[in-house]
Amino acid sequence: MELEQTLARLLGPAEAEVDCDTCFAELDRYVELEIAGADADAAIPGLRAHLAGCPACAEEHESLHALVAAERRD
Amino acid sequence: MILSTLGHDEVVADIAVDTGSSLLEELRADGRTQQLAIERLHALLVRAARFEVARRRPALPHLRGDELDDIALEAADDATISVLARLDDFRGESRFTTWVYKFALLEAAVKLRKRAWQGREVPLEPEEWTGLSAGGPTAEATVEQRELLARLQHAIRSVLTPHQRRVLVAVALNGVPIDVLAERLNTTRGALYKTLHDARHKLRVHLEEEG
Repeated sequence: MELEQTLARLLGPAEAEVDCDTCFAELDRYVELEIAGADADAAIPGLRAHLAGCPACAEEHESLHALVAAERRD
Repeated sequence: MILSTLGHDEVVADIAVDTGSSLLEELRADGRTQQLAIERLHALLVRAARFEVARRRPALPHLRGDELDDIALEAADDATISVLARLDDFRGESRFTTWVYKFALLEAAVKLRKRAWQGREVPLEPEEWTGLSAGGPTAEATVEQRELLARLQHAIRSVLTPHQRRVLVAVALNGVPIDVLAERLNTTRGALYKTLHDARHKLRVHLEEEG
């Protein structure tokens, strides 16, 4: 599994992706669409691929999703 | 830090019942209304920054609780400044609270990554080519993965520029956080990700051309 993950990290996503600035600009909308059960990937093309290729943006996405989801449950 | 005259729990409970739209209006107002709104915003950002610190705490066992809370408060202060400077960027496509949270989470995450790597050397050369455990679903798949890795190693040496090679190896192989590397190389996260993206693209094209 480790080798497979290393290959994935080295090669990155195969599909087109947005950059870090666009990811940050769209992240709040993307997370709300996800939580609402909407098709976030269709609404914001390239963001999912960026999250697969950028560990830092992926961490921030996980955190925002977790925070907003926790707040909606309260 | 930005001082608040309101109790933290009181402020957060107050904001949580709406979506932050009134807060946005008040941040755009003048005088006392705006000052109180800034305090409410700050309290909201402290909450988000502490949330991030709590999530990352298991990875930072050497940091004391008060050090972690200092990081959260600094992150909230910096995020407050960023939000106030960028209010006009809010397009109303999410709740205002969700929009502001991301600034605090970013600031906290960046500070935590930098703190975790403080005083550590950033490895720019391959450290892990050997010893990677193979895990293909079949023996054949594992052999294919090892062949691909060997081709990649060769391509990394032969088709990338020295800068592309250093960035790819540090971030994708050695697990150096991109913010940490950006600070050490005196550049930005966006510029480094562009380098990483270009390097990956070059490698993919090279592998396809090889067949």
